Amino acid sequence: MNSTSAETVERPTGPLAAAALALVISLAPPPAVSATGENWAPVASEKLMQLPGDFLRKAVDNDFARSGLARELVSLDDQVALKRATLSDLQGAIERADDADVRLDLQHQFLNEKRNYIELMREHQEIRRRRAAAKLRLYERLLANLNRERRATTPERATFIAKQKAARERFQASVSQVDAKILSSSSASESRYAREYTKNLSAVQELLAAINTHPMNAAPAIDGRPMTRAQYLRQLIAENEGNLAIVGQERAILGHMAKLVSLDALALSEGIGNDTLAEIELDNTEESPNEVTSVVEFFTRR
Amino acid sequence: MTIGKHVLTGITMAAFVSGLTAAASAGTLENMERERAIMIETMLSGDIDYIQREGRIEIARTRLVDLERMVLRDKSLIGKNQPLVRAAFDNYDLTFMVHASVEKNRSIADHWLSEIGLSTQAIMNARVGRR
Repeated sequence: MNSTSAETVERPTGPLAAAALALVISLAPPPAVSATGENWAPVASEKLMQLPGDFLRKAVDNDFARSGLARELVSLDDQVALKRATLSDLQGAIERADDADVRLDLQHQFLNEKRNYIELMREHQEIRRRRAAAKLRLYERLLANLNRERRATTPERATFIAKQKAARERFQASVSQVDAKILSSSSASESRYAREYTKNLSAVQELLAAINTHPMNAAPAIDGRPMTRAQYLRQLIAENEGNLAIVGQERAILGHMAKLVSLDALALSEGIGNDTLAEIELDNTEESPNEVTSVVEFFTRR
Repeated sequence: MTIGKHVLTGITMAAFVSGLTAAASAGTLENMERERAIMIETMLSGDIDYIQREGRIEIARTRLVDLERMVLRDKSLIGKNQPLVRAAFDNYDLTFMVHASVEKNRSIADHWLSEIGLSTQAIMNARVGRR
């Protein structure tokens, strides 16, 4: 019973209170904004566009981690974990209770805590939904910017860039020949620019090699397969679409839980179904304790 | 007050230095074109004798090699769709004439005259006439 007394709120008593609780739960809308009104609105800046490899995703995640919304999510995570422990404690207490009145009181508390859990999870889901929606908007804007830049390359400009590339290649092919010819001339000596450039070139090449092998400069890749920036952004968009869909599904699960709590409350008010609690078995999942599916058992067994 | 003055001075200096940098990096092509024009003027000048011409071309060639390389290595010119830049990259042989002449194993004067369509044969075949 580590947190039952601390977490237990004022419990409703009697059939009327249980019925009122059922009504409140079934009618409660999901919160439109977080309780503290925190927000996160990342901007699709040019700087973000130029980030190499997977650094884009990391920068966005870091930006979220610094936001008020992230702090609220962490706080809610803690509250949900605590609430889950409370539910578990209450469930154990109901199993052990011999006296019918104590058992009924505990069942009321259990119902109330389940209602609180649903409220917390609704807020938790809403923040996750907002996070996924903000990321989705951001990646879509970045993709739109990328496409706009691509469209800005007209055929004339592409031809011009190709000419510049050809000129550079031709220059690279002839540079040693030109050096030999110029230096063989009796009156000419190597210029300061040529000397300094050659000296700096090895340093530049060394630095470029270090940049190319730097882990933060790895090309965007998913499952080890390198991909273009556009493909990478589309992958991030798909991932966040998936996150939004999962949140939607979890919201439906919460709706079912709320319905079950309402039905339990009605059953309690009518005084039926008190003998099934002893069969409950706890499922303490360590990997993701705050997943909504990890508490289904609290709601499916009375 | 003193701190404010220092900050203002710092900002002014930074703006001045960045302005200088921008002006310097924007001029590689213009500098090369100026040197190229002087080189062509030297080649065509009738006021100097052969020895003087050769000496001046030799000096200008060394300078022009560096300037051509600066233009070809200038990353700020990549995709810069301006008339001067477009014209420069439209004809490598005429723009980067020192590199192109060495490639083709010709003197700069021969190379330039050939690229604009003036060969010894063409000049010998030409007739004096009134336009």
